[in-house]
Amino acid sequence: MKHPARWIAGGVALVVVVLGVILAVNVGSDAESGVQNSPLQNKAAPAFDLPTLAGARVTDADLQGKWTVINFWNTWCVPCQQELPELKKFVKAHAGDDTVQTIGIVRDPQEPASVIRKYADATGMNWTIALDPGSKAALDFATRGQPESFLVAPNGEVLVYFYGPVTASVLDRALAAAGGPTS
Amino acid sequence: MRKWWAWIALGVVVVVALAIVVWPHGEQSAAARAHNLETQLKCPECEGLSVADSNAPTSLAIRADIKKRIRQGQNDDVIRQAYVDRYGEQILLQPQGSGISLLVWVLPVVVLVVGAFGIGFVLARNRRAPMLHASEADEQLVERAREQQQ
Amino acid sequence: MRAALGYGAVAFGAAASLVGITSLLLGLQVRDPFMLRLGRRCMYVVLLAALLAAAVMESALLSHDFSLKYVAENSAIATPPLFRFTGLWAALEGSILLWAVILGGYLSFVAFKFRKRGNDALVAVACITGLVVALFFFALMLGPANPFRELSTVPLDGRGPNPLLQNHILMAFHPPILYIGYVGFTVPFMFGIAALVTGRFGEGWLEDTRRATLFAWGFLTVGIILGAWWSYEVLGWGGFWAWDPVENASLLPWLTGTAFIHSVIVQERRGMLRVWNLSLVIATFCLTILGTFLTRSGVIDSVHAFSKSDIGPWLLTFLFAIMATGIGLVFWRGDALRSPGKIDSAVSRESAFLANNLLFSALAFVVLLGTVFPLIAEAVRGSRLSVGEPYFDRMGTPIGLALLFLMAVAPALPWRATSGEALRNRMVVPAWIGGLTMLVTVLLGARGLAEVIAYGLGAFAAAGIVRQFYLGARGRRRALGESPGLALGRATRANPRLYGGLVVHLGVVMIAVVLAASSAYGVNREVHLTKGQSTTVNGYTLTYLGSYSTRSAQKNATHARVRITKGDRDLGVYTPMISTFPNSTDGIGTPSVRTGVVDDVYLTLVSGADDKGRVTIGVRVNTMIVWLWIGGAVMALGTILAIAPRLGRKPREKVDPAGPDGVVDTPGTDVQPSGSEAGVMA
Repeated sequence: MKHPARWIAGGVALVVVVLGVILAVNVGSDAESGVQNSPLQNKAAPAFDLPTLAGARVTDADLQGKWTVINFWNTWCVPCQQELPELKKFVKAHAGDDTVQTIGIVRDPQEPASVIRKYADATGMNWTIALDPGSKAALDFATRGQPESFLVAPNGEVLVYFYGPVTASVLDRALAAAGGPTS
Repeated sequence: MRKWWAWIALGVVVVVALAIVVWPHGEQSAAARAHNLETQLKCPECEGLSVADSNAPTSLAIRADIKKRIRQGQNDDVIRQAYVDRYGEQILLQPQGSGISLLVWVLPVVVLVVGAFGIGFVLARNRRAPMLHASEADEQLVERAREQQQ
Repeated sequence: MRAALGYGAVAFGAAASLVGITSLLLGLQVRDPFMLRLGRRCMYVVLLAALLAAAVMESALLSHDFSLKYVAENSAIATPPLFRFTGLWAALEGSILLWAVILGGYLSFVAFKFRKRGNDALVAVACITGLVVALFFFALMLGPANPFRELSTVPLDGRGPNPLLQNHILMAFHPPILYIGYVGFTVPFMFGIAALVTGRFGEGWLEDTRRATLFAWGFLTVGIILGAWWSYEVLGWGGFWAWDPVENASLLPWLTGTAFIHSVIVQERRGMLRVWNLSLVIATFCLTILGTFLTRSGVIDSVHAFSKSDIGPWLLTFLFAIMATGIGLVFWRGDALRSPGKIDSAVSRESAFLANNLLFSALAFVVLLGTVFPLIAEAVRGSRLSVGEPYFDRMGTPIGLALLFLMAVAPALPWRATSGEALRNRMVVPAWIGGLTMLVTVLLGARGLAEVIAYGLGAFAAAGIVRQFYLGARGRRRALGESPGLALGRATRANPRLYGGLVVHLGVVMIAVVLAASSAYGVNREVHLTKGQSTTVNGYTLTYLGSYSTRSAQKNATHARVRITKGDRDLGVYTPMISTFPNSTDGIGTPSVRTGVVDDVYLTLVSGADDKGRVTIGVRVNTMIVWLWIGGAVMALGTILAIAPRLGRKPREKVDPAGPDGVVDTPGTDVQPSGSEAGVMA
């Protein structure tokens, strides 16, 4: 074969160009942005059946007919503490509206229910708080950490996934965009 | 033939050792199955660690979940698929399935095979080429050197 | 004031590079020795400029000068002096500065070493290439990666370095050593490009750069081992290699670099494999730049992605410029690169080196493909997938085993050709040792296929290495009657390159054995203990003795004291801990490891004492890890030996053909008298 070096050089150049185009296209985008997508997007919320602090149970059947914000949190996570005032603001703004509910799920609880109840009472978390023993719901919702939140439509479909702490305005905007009630 | 005895005997030793290793010895234990699956799933909240290696809360939860599923009788493929359904394909630490995922497995093999053939081709072609013959001047040089040594 | 001085130094360095390039180019054009010398002198100036900038930055870091953005982001008042000093390489801009300093050092070395060959076009073009690279890095610092950016309002305290970067003294060693390795490959690259440009692609450029290349390779090897040590002893997840993109970025140039240092031997001996060598050296340099790109551009998720910046496009452009230049030059030279020699036989050392090149390149391809494949998948079909340890293990292990086999066989292969019979006779004893080792490990319980093959091949290779040393010493003993120890020492000194290489191979065998052993199922458990309570894992009894806290300005830490005993032997008290730093909410765990010859007991503090006083301790028992570090040290020692100048009889000495013992020794050879095989090995 004449000029094998040239053929090999040409082949390598081709591969390099292809690779380069791919890398160049990716350089602009942020690697982290992929995390914003949840595989649950536009699918029915997974089934769950959890005990609440009030002593009752909450299941996915309770999602039907209402706009629900599901918020995964726990007592020892600092960003959860930082988003707490925002959650309270959101709940207060929709306090009169029967069609909007908030369910908090304690992800990976390290302390007994009584301690969590005391914490929730002390910080004014006046919405349904459920416990997730064994982290089953956390796994079913494909959460990676906390805080993470989901906006669920009245038909039980997961509409929006929030990775990290949320604010009241972010939740309101998502709710309005989905066709839900404004505060 | 005597020279070959040593190598034949060595071959036997190696084959025996490999046979013991590869011999199917019953079902993999549940713990081994669990560990195997854990090495194949990525810990969702870590940077690239497997569920087996990481002790993050999500990893611990997944490890417990895997053990539960094994107890329930689900086989490996079912368990893996359940996690892919939940977390997406990223949860698997090695690409599976068809399409572009195959590329990552096939390309290196292609590279090696093409390379090996290339080398083999070069070697075969060189063998066919005539050996260099010494010229007159070279032969005289060798003679002179030999005389000097005496 | 400092910002102006530092930035000025960087600008000065860029200017010096530019002046150097111009005067060298002019000097070549008009053949003016003065211009050439001026260009070379600029390389010293580049070093001085970089050193000045680094000194300014260090003084800013050490004196808490928070007017500089870099200082404010990477140090705080509470940061201990050591970690203020290491702040130079804690983030992107400082790392580029460190790179420039080290590059200046290598350029000055080249300028000094070749000061007597100033009018040689090869040297001049190499210097131009080196200065172009330096110019790029200075340009980065003048633009997107400016370390001397000032803050309009000076904060009262800095943010402090990332907690992971102020946790351990290794921070002072791992990055600089790694960079000395990375940057060092610029030297053979410079000369490779020069060889292509000047058309002198014979052996000259290889010989000129041999020691620098080995020096860089040695540092890169040690740097990677230190990275593994950091992962194991500091990060606390229990393993030493996570196939993290940045880890892979350091491994890639090591793979092609290792192929290169072997392949050049063939070019020196027989003038062959020229295209391979040029390609490998260009690829190695490109991979060091790619590595920097992957680490610093944030394109891929990684443990090392501490700071993301817009340096990505610059690095990518530079990378492509280099690749285009390299590929273009090889393309241009085309057939002229072909060497006159041919490989005579498949059973020869040349073929072994050729196979070596292919295998290392394939392994580098696997690592590269696995690292960037998530990006490719996302570009093609929009969703990401992960490529992690299972992939690299499955694809890399067969190649690794093949390399181990080559390593065992190749030293017994002579140049040009041999008969199969001669080869078999040489290898029968080491091969038997390998086979028996395999059987013994299987009988002792090893059950992984790759694992057992690795043990066998490792023993095979080690036996072969010992055989080489034995033959070398025996040759001297028979000819000169020296005692065994003296013979061994003198043989090694007479041919340090060969024996140094063999020592490095011995280190590789150790590491290969550890990698094989670690693939077997280890023990990983969490135990909950109250004070005084014990538990047993794998024969080791762990007793929780209690916790205590420490506070310092830098960090608060909770320590748990655990006593480890085995049977009735007390192995000591070990203290895993969790530290929290003021600028971060997460706790950073630090493991405590009881290192043993066979086993490590690896303790982590998962959570401190709860209200019942119970702690959760993570316990792992890892096999043979200490041999990684020992193997790394052996490789470093072997590299030093391989760089060492040869001692003993000088090759050009005219020796009386019939020496005192009546032995004929031909001048111009460096062979130990008698022992034909030993002679062939040299």
